[in-house]
Amino acid sequence: MAKNSENYILDTSTLISLESINILEQVLKLFSITTTNSVIKELEEFAKHDDKYGKIAKNILKLKNKFTIESCGIRESIKYIESTDNELYNLALKKELPLVTDETKFVHHTRDKIEVYFTTVFLVILTETKYFTKKEALNKLEELRNIRNWRDNIIYLITKNQLDKL
Amino acid sequence: METEQFNIRMPKGLVQDLDIISKLLKVNKSEWVKTKLAEEVHEEKNKLLMELSTLYANGMISKEKIEKLVGKEVADEMESIKVIAQKSVKHGLEYGKKLRKLHS
Repeated sequence: MAKNSENYILDTSTLISLESINILEQVLKLFSITTTNSVIKELEEFAKHDDKYGKIAKNILKLKNKFTIESCGIRESIKYIESTDNELYNLALKKELPLVTDETKFVHHTRDKIEVYFTTVFLVILTETKYFTKKEALNKLEELRNIRNWRDNIIYLITKNQLDKL
Repeated sequence: METEQFNIRMPKGLVQDLDIISKLLKVNKSEWVKTKLAEEVHEEKNKLLMELSTLYANGMISKEKIEKLVGKEVADEMESIKVIAQKSVKHGLEYGKKLRKLHS
């Protein structure tokens, strides 16, 4: 399947989630992905460590040339979220692009201002386009649940319920 | 950090045990208790909120009831997570269908 014009802005949490279940490369093949220099810096910090997240960050950084990386000034600041997230929020406002994150606070404080999704959006797209079978998608969701320590949280339950229906 | 005085009476045996820990670890007794209590409170709070959000996701408790139990801020955040989780699935399904049509 060729690349589509659909463009998404991804934060650190989503890049880590996608790479942790080995679907980042496929997402990069299908969509145009934009992120910020601050996100790359966060990943470089993770990559200094030899733990699980360090290894995931190193793999993401290997794919760096496949993202569009931008910096964005903060014109509108939300006080409840960090500066890296404020930059992503402003980029989403400026470019009028959807933002994908797994940070629940970030979602809560931006959902009325920009188009925002959880990482599970890509899992559903890849299942609906038959890149995954239903069983594979459910396995990926379980992997994501474990790595993110989601347990029985709302994101997991709602996504599982939908994937079960497919 | 803003603090508030919180007094508790503890059994003597427990205080003696705390003395032993304090001497062996060479740490301040109050500081050690404060750290341990913070860890326990954080874990228990997250566990209880997780159970509450599971009930909410399954439609077994309303947002109003959550608001009465834990306050507006937590209830609003849970609602946001539910709405965006549903929206993510909906967008994924719609966009996935569109892609399939485009490439079939």
